[in-house]
Amino acid sequence: MQDTIDLLEAIGRDASLRHASADELSRVLEQAQASPALTAAATSGDRAPLSVELGAKPNQAPQITQAPGHEDDEEQEEQEEQSSASARRSD
Amino acid sequence: MGMTLGSHLTPLARSHIEQADVVFAGLSDGIVEMWLQRMHPDVRSLQPYYREGKSRLKTYRQWVDLMMAEVRAGKRVCGVFYGHPGVFAWSPHKVIEVARAEGYEAHMEPGVSAEDCLYADLGIDPGRFGCQHFEASQLLFYERRLDPSAYLVLWQVALVGDRSLARFATGAPYRQVLLDLLSRDYPAEHEIILYRAATLPIERPRVRRIALRDLPHVPLTAEDTVVLPPAVALRPNEAIRARLEALDKLEKTGTVV
Ligand SMILES: C[S@@+](CC[C@H](N)C(=O)[O-])C[C@H]1O[C@@H](n2cnc3c(N)ncnc32)[C@H](O)[C@@H]1O
Repeated sequence: MQDTIDLLEAIGRDASLRHASADELSRVLEQAQASPALTAAATSGDRAPLSVELGAKPNQAPQITQAPGHEDDEEQEEQEEQSSASARRSD
Repeated sequence: MGMTLGSHLTPLARSHIEQADVVFAGLSDGIVEMWLQRMHPDVRSLQPYYREGKSRLKTYRQWVDLMMAEVRAGKRVCGVFYGHPGVFAWSPHKVIEVARAEGYEAHMEPGVSAEDCLYADLGIDPGRFGCQHFEASQLLFYERRLDPSAYLVLWQVALVGDRSLARFATGAPYRQVLLDLLSRDYPAEHEIILYRAATLPIERPRVRRIALRDLPHVPLTAEDTVVLPPAVALRPNEAIRARLEALDKLEKTGTVV
């Protein structure tokens, strides 16, 4: 069985695979001896079986976020911290 | 890193990863993080520093400290972030600023961001009518001027209005505040787009079109970016046009060189 991450990389970098139909892709993957999870995920376009195979936990939503546009809040926060240790609001 | 596994990482960015002593990872997709681990023996995830109830600013400052500790120890450090590291992202800019201030060399490699994918997948050219981008909460916290004749792109809408910076998502009442603000410039039935770019190459982009009024009530993930197409036509600026016409005339008669 071929390594799933390697196969994902190969699909990602190949013009004909990256935009192949689900049917085409699952045929190619079967030939390449992909894991059943990857073949199922590629056929459905749903990553769920892959996350099970790879044990990938979904990254926390805030991993997806950063805080641009909140530089002023940072200053405020620092002031709050200085003025009172328990000043953290929970609203 | 770009958005999509295997498709977007530039050769130069990959080389930075491979040549670093230590790699830090701020990625949105756990499988993409596994791919990164193949490229370097010492990849440290920034993911565990998040905690619900803890201010994200604290987390981001911790990230900067972690990276700087290795820089100060004389290591070559590469911070890897999904998309473009400098687009709607605080810590990559900050760590470069801190490193430079302490006399270290530091620079940012551009990457393919969610914004770039959005233009391609939705067929939008930001130059067609102009395009405003806002972090959704910032739009609520400050007095801003929206231009409904341009595109409007809103980031981090799932967290809109979170003043604590400590929550993982805010709910319908917060999005209602955003809706009320947007309703000053856009009709309630205006069609808007909820967009998620593919992060795995076996995925398709997710494109949902809804009426603006439904924004508070649809399921929304932290990865969804919200696009409001223009709601009104461009209006000619007659005064400026007249001024330019007058200039043209002067040029023709040779008065202006
Ligand atoms: C902190 S910003 C980081 C953006 C990232 N640096 C980039 O270049 O795309 C997080 C926001 O990016 C957008 N975003 C993240 N992942 C996305 C995806 N897969 N598709 C569309 N937008 C995404 C969402 O608006 C999300 O709230």
